[in-house]
Amino acid sequence: MFPYAEATWDVVDGAMFIGWGTALPGIATVIAMTICVVVLVIGQRSEAEKSRRFN
Amino acid sequence: MEEQLAELAAKVAELEAAGGGAGVTNTMFAEMFYYVTIPLMIIIHAGFLAYEMGASRLKNVLSSGVKNILAFAFMIPTFYFFGWWVYWGFPTGIPGAPGPAGISGVEYANAIALGWGDAAQYMGPNIVDQASGVFFGAFALFAATTASIMSGAVIERIQTVGFIILAVVLGSFAWVVAAAWGWHADGWMVTKFGLHDFGAAGLVHAVAGFFALGVLINLGPRIGKFNEDGTANHIPGHNMPLTVVGLMLIIVGFWGFLMACVIVPGEAWSWYGDKATTIYGTPITLSALSFNILMAVAGGIIGSWLFTRDPFWMMSGALAGIISTASGLDIYFPALAFIIAFSAGIILKPCADWLERRGIDDAVGAVTVHGTIGLYGVVMLGIWGAGYPALQGAAGDAPTISLMGQIVGAVVFFLLGFVPGYVVSYILKMFGMLRIPEGAERAGMDLVKVPASGYPEWGRDAPVTLAHPAE
Repeated sequence: MFPYAEATWDVVDGAMFIGWGTALPGIATVIAMTICVVVLVIGQRSEAEKSRRFN
Repeated sequence: MEEQLAELAAKVAELEAAGGGAGVTNTMFAEMFYYVTIPLMIIIHAGFLAYEMGASRLKNVLSSGVKNILAFAFMIPTFYFFGWWVYWGFPTGIPGAPGPAGISGVEYANAIALGWGDAAQYMGPNIVDQASGVFFGAFALFAATTASIMSGAVIERIQTVGFIILAVVLGSFAWVVAAAWGWHADGWMVTKFGLHDFGAAGLVHAVAGFFALGVLINLGPRIGKFNEDGTANHIPGHNMPLTVVGLMLIIVGFWGFLMACVIVPGEAWSWYGDKATTIYGTPITLSALSFNILMAVAGGIIGSWLFTRDPFWMMSGALAGIISTASGLDIYFPALAFIIAFSAGIILKPCADWLERRGIDDAVGAVTVHGTIGLYGVVMLGIWGAGYPALQGAAGDAPTISLMGQIVGAVVFFLLGFVPGYVVSYILKMFGMLRIPEGAERAGMDLVKVPASGYPEWGRDAPVTLAHPAE
């Protein structure tokens, strides 16, 4: 997914990351944000459950 | 008129002087750039030292340190003697023909990388050569990193000299061949298959990780690691905080490691006058590295925390995060790097457990963190980066990055690590130079090998417990 029409670095004059010019960066950002939130939710649930065992 | 001409000539002279000054500044910057990477990479070794010593039991803590320090010490001269020569001599494979970029082949290596004859002018102080020493230094530290990766896996039962021989084979030969083939503009895996491994996920980490696996098969597990029914025990190290801080130091050092993978602009040996490149001549910025390394470290830690909650595996996850994205740190989008690193953090512990269930006692998870995740990173770039030009510059056109090219690279890196590791350790085993005797292992290697005590006033090893209590 080279973001320029010709597969050569000579034509690159700006962003050069994978997915530039497509929806991929946005999708990846949303997924990464979701991962952070979901991991925190799972972490809170499991820690709370383990903590309750000591009550 | 004459006055004007004189004025003009003075201006031209002034401009020429200013231009020369800029050239000197750039040369000094280039030299300083690589010079700084060397102490930064030594921090990797401080980290590995702390990590290994912390993961060792009290009775072995100093001998683990001695082994690690000695590996570093032997790596530097052996890389000077022949490792540097191998790197420049064999990018196109055997017998070492010159490549299209004109900076490879046995003849070229003979001219610049030997410590005798005319070539010696590039292997010592030289007023007109401000590059060879710092390049050599950076590469020697890459070599030392490979030895440290193997070092952790084999703690608490390997003989010192046998280990040093293995370290030299790995650090001054096996990974150097991988670097020549896959980390050089004339490397045949680059020019023929479009392999791209910017941050050495495969050619440093995977080679070292699978070299360690080859050694571990012949070395065998520590006494007490496995029960008669095949279940594994957890042998706790004596200082988990030291291990975790050591892992964090490795992360610090990796900034130097990855910085040293960049070719600065504006010098006679640079790819371009105005932009930094990878070792393949493809463009890169330090900003790209900052974005992606940080996101990868974070993704790896979060992924590991999700299922382990263990600081050892979390910091190993940080390493796994960097390693899983290292091949494409120059072109990944940061959020994508985060996702790949997160997935590496998740699979890390299950992969280590899988290996342990097969009777491999990898004391610090090096085979998984560096070997398995290294190959994972190489292949991941084939999936996400397909279509990117793998090389640009004097070497001419090269294939673009492809999944098949990355898989070929992964297989070659696996073999370049595993085969020499297995064969050399097998030979050492035949000569009784691989493993210490059982009595010495039980007594503790510090007592046998080191005329000092790690903690002379206190201490006792923690009890050994089942690694997987549910089994």
